[in-house]
Amino acid sequence: MKPTSLFIPAILATAILAGCGPKKPTLHLYTWSDYIDPGLVTLFEKENNCRVKIDTFDSNETMYAKVKAGSGGYDIIFPSSYQVSLMAQNNMLLPLDKSKLPNVTAHFEDFYKRVILNPEMTFNVPYAVTFTGIAYRKDKTAGVAIDSWACLDNPAFKGRVSLLNDFRETIGAALKSLGYSLNSTSPDELRKACDVVLRWKKNIAKFDNEQYKTGIASGEFLLGHGYSGDIAQVMLEDPANIGFAFPKEGFTAACDEMVIPKTAKEPTLAHAFINFLYEPDNASRNIQYICAVMPNKEGISKLPDEYRNNPAILPPADVLAKAEVLKDLGANNALYSKVWDTIKATE
Amino acid sequence: MKRNPFPLVMLVLVLTFLYLPIAVLATNSFNLSRFGGTWEGFTFKWYGQLINDSQVWSAFGNSLCIAAGATLASCLFGTTAALALHKWNSRLQNVHYGLIYTPLVIPEILMGISLLLTFTAIGMDCGLHTILLAHTTFCVSYVTMTVLARLQDFDDSLIEAARDLGANAWISFLRVQFPLLLPGIISGGLLAFTLSIDDFVITFFVAGPGSSTLPLKVYSMIKHSPKLPVINCLSTVMLLLTFMLVLASRAFQNIKQPKTLRGA
Repeated sequence: MKPTSLFIPAILATAILAGCGPKKPTLHLYTWSDYIDPGLVTLFEKENNCRVKIDTFDSNETMYAKVKAGSGGYDIIFPSSYQVSLMAQNNMLLPLDKSKLPNVTAHFEDFYKRVILNPEMTFNVPYAVTFTGIAYRKDKTAGVAIDSWACLDNPAFKGRVSLLNDFRETIGAALKSLGYSLNSTSPDELRKACDVVLRWKKNIAKFDNEQYKTGIASGEFLLGHGYSGDIAQVMLEDPANIGFAFPKEGFTAACDEMVIPKTAKEPTLAHAFINFLYEPDNASRNIQYICAVMPNKEGISKLPDEYRNNPAILPPADVLAKAEVLKDLGANNALYSKVWDTIKATE
Repeated sequence: MKRNPFPLVMLVLVLTFLYLPIAVLATNSFNLSRFGGTWEGFTFKWYGQLINDSQVWSAFGNSLCIAAGATLASCLFGTTAALALHKWNSRLQNVHYGLIYTPLVIPEILMGISLLLTFTAIGMDCGLHTILLAHTTFCVSYVTMTVLARLQDFDDSLIEAARDLGANAWISFLRVQFPLLLPGIISGGLLAFTLSIDDFVITFFVAGPGSSTLPLKVYSMIKHSPKLPVINCLSTVMLLLTFMLVLASRAFQNIKQPKTLRGA
């Protein structure tokens, strides 16, 4: 007998034996990169004698395309609110069993219900709430109160302002600055908002979604229209010089949620994981890792001062009252993209 | 005599555009600042985070397994396909050539989504095995083309000579044709390995739970990670490894050089 003819059955046998051992259940998460404290994941693995595998996506749309096309097997997905509505409409989600989520029932901070899109929480449990506002350099804007969208227009900051390259966010900011709703579908209001953004455009350096953090951190930009989750992190590194302002006219709130897709293989374990994250100590630990607030009452009260006093993580109640949630406008999205095209095309 | 400055200028320009970005990246991997806009001091902090990032390493392991598997499989299928294409010149082989050639020209996104739809249709769960299948599918074309190019320079009378001297078809292939084709197969294999290890689009579609490869991981990190410099570290490490591999293979080639049959 040739040695090779022994070799192949040996490999097969090992493979089969390895498959037969006591197999630990595996929980598959599909989420954003570095969006959960790895220490908590290890703790959950130990407590539940299971394995947790994390895969990451870079936008709601790519995640949706993949899951919709039939790539199943994820147990918990972390989409943003508007994507949750779409997934629920397409019958892709498993209704949550509230009896398996006692921590969510016990610790959910009801105050945040007004900033989440699906407050009845049939399919979703909020994971992190973030806001869109204005990041600014405290050291280089001295003497100017940064408290309004009108600041974007201030000639003192000409060429050193960045606006988000996102049609809903930026047109939404303009709508808010005029006192309208972020979800307005009135052509007249949108036309006025278009004029506002065009005015802003003359004053800004660029439209940008990623690099503005760098610009704020290095002082290249003085004002940056941006997401609180991004800025909170930068603020913790340089608390003396960087601030985050919530415009008084109102601003956007967004929420990433946890959902269990219909194709989940370990729905029980998935419920256990969501419940585990809502345990106050864990919630507090995770808020500190991701720099965005989970609506968990006891978890929030356990936060260290530097996190609790950072408005980009935990805005005060009166500020939060001015937040508005972006809704999925369906066919009316076209109204916004038309305005956005005009804005982009106008010199 | 005045020398023409043009070649020197070109050389400097090309070297700058090729290597300056790499130098910036490598420098930033030691930058204390998280954003790389300004130099804030020297640190090994990001390398420490890279070593402890189990997700990056498991993605790296997945990438290596898939690339190795896809290379082996595509070398096998690619070489046999090239042999068949070389040996026969029928209408069927023209169709065969077309089929092999198509993956080189169709858009990756089309291939990705169609593979995913196929896997879903036959009820196959996505995972490492689907990525391996997908990568083998597109790598076969590249290996076939490389080996075929090598076969076009191949002197068929060598095989006839071997047969004349009493070797059967199998032995003449194994002892004569295969060793002469080996450089082509190896370079095709290296090409396949490189393509497989950095493929993003196709992998994105056919990856399933727990089978993220390095490009998938890096891409999601670029967009949403507070640990951006870790990517710089990872790239620097991979660059060093690549340079070492290239140097090693050059050294290897130099040793082998005198033994080849020049006069044959």
